[in-house]
Amino acid sequence: MVRDVAFGQYFPGKSLMHRLDPRAKLVCFIAFVVLIFFTFNYASLGLIAAFTIFMIAASGVSPKFYFKSLKVILFVVLITSVLNLFYGSGEPIWQWWILRVTWNGIHRAAFVTVRIICLILASSCLTFTTSPTELTDAMERLMKPLTAIHFPVHEIAMMMSLALRFVPTLLEETDKIMQAQKARGADLESGGFFKRVKALIPILIPLFVSAFRRAYDIATAMECRCYRGGSGRTRMKILRMSARDIISMITTAALIGGVIVCNIFLTSVI
Amino acid sequence: MFISIENVFFSYDSVEDGQPVKNAVDGVSLTVEQGEFVAVIGHNGCGKSTLAKHLNAMLLPDSGKVYVEGDDTADENKTWEIREKVGLVLQNPDNQLVASIVEEDVAFGPENLGVPPKEIRERVDKALKAVGMYEYRLHAPYKLSGGQKQRIAIAGILAIQPQCIVLDEPTAMLDPSGREEVMSTLIRLNKEMGITVVLITHYMDEAVSADRVVVMDSGKVLTQGTPGEVFSQVELLKKHRLDVPQAAELAFRLKGCGVKIDRIPLDEEECAQMLLEVMK
Amino acid sequence: MSHILELKNLSFVYGQGTPFEKKAVDNLSATIEKGEFIGIIGHTGSGKSTLVQMLNGLMKPTSGQVLLDGRDIWTEPKKIREIRFRVGMVFQYPEYQLFEDTVYKDIAFGAKNKGLEGDALDKAVRRAAEFTGLKEELLDKSPFDLSGGEKRRAAIAGVMAMEPEVLILDDPTAGLDPMGREILLSQIVNYHKERGVTVLLVSHSMEDIARVADRIMVLNHGTLHDFDKTKSVFAKGDDLRKIGLKVPQITRIMQTLRERGTDVPDGVLTVDEALEVLSSILKKEGKIW
Repeated sequence: MVRDVAFGQYFPGKSLMHRLDPRAKLVCFIAFVVLIFFTFNYASLGLIAAFTIFMIAASGVSPKFYFKSLKVILFVVLITSVLNLFYGSGEPIWQWWILRVTWNGIHRAAFVTVRIICLILASSCLTFTTSPTELTDAMERLMKPLTAIHFPVHEIAMMMSLALRFVPTLLEETDKIMQAQKARGADLESGGFFKRVKALIPILIPLFVSAFRRAYDIATAMECRCYRGGSGRTRMKILRMSARDIISMITTAALIGGVIVCNIFLTSVI
Repeated sequence: MFISIENVFFSYDSVEDGQPVKNAVDGVSLTVEQGEFVAVIGHNGCGKSTLAKHLNAMLLPDSGKVYVEGDDTADENKTWEIREKVGLVLQNPDNQLVASIVEEDVAFGPENLGVPPKEIRERVDKALKAVGMYEYRLHAPYKLSGGQKQRIAIAGILAIQPQCIVLDEPTAMLDPSGREEVMSTLIRLNKEMGITVVLITHYMDEAVSADRVVVMDSGKVLTQGTPGEVFSQVELLKKHRLDVPQAAELAFRLKGCGVKIDRIPLDEEECAQMLLEVMK
Repeated sequence: MSHILELKNLSFVYGQGTPFEKKAVDNLSATIEKGEFIGIIGHTGSGKSTLVQMLNGLMKPTSGQVLLDGRDIWTEPKKIREIRFRVGMVFQYPEYQLFEDTVYKDIAFGAKNKGLEGDALDKAVRRAAEFTGLKEELLDKSPFDLSGGEKRRAAIAGVMAMEPEVLILDDPTAGLDPMGREILLSQIVNYHKERGVTVLLVSHSMEDIARVADRIMVLNHGTLHDFDKTKSVFAKGDDLRKIGLKVPQITRIMQTLRERGTDVPDGVLTVDEALEVLSSILKKEGKIW
């Protein structure tokens, strides 16, 4: 019931994007996201858009899932671009009452729309092609240097991976608790704001109690399997960078170079 | 002698001056031999689960000793060695699985032990095959049935390559088919792989599969012996709020009516066979 | 006796229209009389949980109707909540739904939602607590301070306090030890006798069902495989085995004797019955006196 969200889901596969080392993907993704907001003219925007399309094509995941993830923020994009349309600077080219449309506004609306869409599509591409475990693994290994300053890298990674493992289980449990309380006449659908919040108490308290109990059980189970913290642990899956990964990082670097060049040599539109 | 439990006392209560402390385990002495299949039965609250947790040093006795292959569980330096030799599987299948992918969960144990990656891979595959879940190695645990999840939990322990597996009511939350899956897996592990199994249960039909049955009540060992020896003591078991298989109960009551019965049967086939002979 | 519940061509399809479409309940029709004690059995995935959740309006049938006292429960969709007070449902492991400060308040939750208050509410709560054997001292405690068995009884009392006309219990003895199962089952039987409530018990324990049910609904892959008196259902041992179900151990034993030529009746359900039958045969043969 509460589980049919396309955004953030993982689709196992063998495409180029699937086979990239998750660390390379994560680093390129972060660079890409930052880069999106450094596009100041249509040339650089075009480069970003083209790169996004290339990523989607290389992911092997059907476009309809990408559309689904866009659907979620469609409303937000619409509102934001309309607002930008009417708040540009410069001379109005069209006016009706207090609504002024300027060229600047049109450019800004276009940029905002394309930027947000590229951001969502790139995020989807990452989560569609990288399993939650791969992502937490990548984050753990990228953060490894921080252990020098006593940052609890392993502990955080362990927490993230446990959380991910239990999200579907907890969602299922929430469902069950809701059904059980509804069977006792709980009214979760009607009423004003405060009434609805109050109606959540019979759901939240059992859920919290259950979550604590689970945590205790899991800790016991982990100890039974000889868990004693991060030191001395090995991993079954070893991440190894291959030529593919080096090439993808070089491509991303090239993209960064291209955008910088455009920004220097072409006039900014916004 | 693989595990030796010597006059163990344990209480969950903290000692309060003058207050009598209720012992969960009240003077238990027991041994487990290598390769045995031991079932420990008793109603809820009899101390069997508490005792189980002493076998891998999850709990330490207030007085008395527990030795695993000669190592004292109270010795801090030996704790991890002991946990490599004695694995513990718990009741709730969900709350034992730590990873989002089956094979990664099974790898958790060996990873903790610092086993080299290639060997971990081998152990994981071997463990999954031993419990019959190899085809599910890339699946997400939450989508599996209770019986399948519990088998993965067992695989997770097998990957540590212990000599003994203790299971605390592993089938209590499973449906009949799940229970059968787990029981046949345990019997196979014991008979084919020689792994010592200590099964804590309140299901009598599971206890009949064991080599030896230990009956507990109020923290003490009431009686022990082969399933045949234990379940023939129907009156004693009933007095201590324990169940008997219907086959055994019928035979016992017929015996009470004066019918000549030598052995109390443990399952349907045995019982029917015996009745046919009696009526000839 | 009149039909309290009538199931007309009930179907439920999960994920209709998606590639994961699954028919959980398939064109199921049955009638249940007032005051009956019905057992519901079926292999895992046979649709039992889906079926019972349609009976109290938690799930809306994809097609078909549920008639309570002759009236379709979905006649006024906005008032579906009222149905849940008339058809009470206890889920598996109900102790996980406890949340109030005191046991008393938790038991009162459902009854309060129904609209009971004052003396009527107090009476309903105390009566329910009595039926489940909860001692009075426990009522003022926090539900989280109770033992596992006590928690379960408190949760069941919470549904009984709503004083429903129909009580559905989904595997209420799951996870309990033999003694606990015995006690809970007798409490349910007692409740059924005293209140005259119609009870539907979903269970995996054939021995439990054999003890308490008047009639048994046998589900198989979402369809109604059989719906008959308990004795008749368990007399068809081979049939049940084919769809993944067993019969009580004692029934199987007597069946084996029958197959090998002994003259014993079909569908023996309890050890007491078997003892009676066998001792009369043995007396005749002079084996006992």
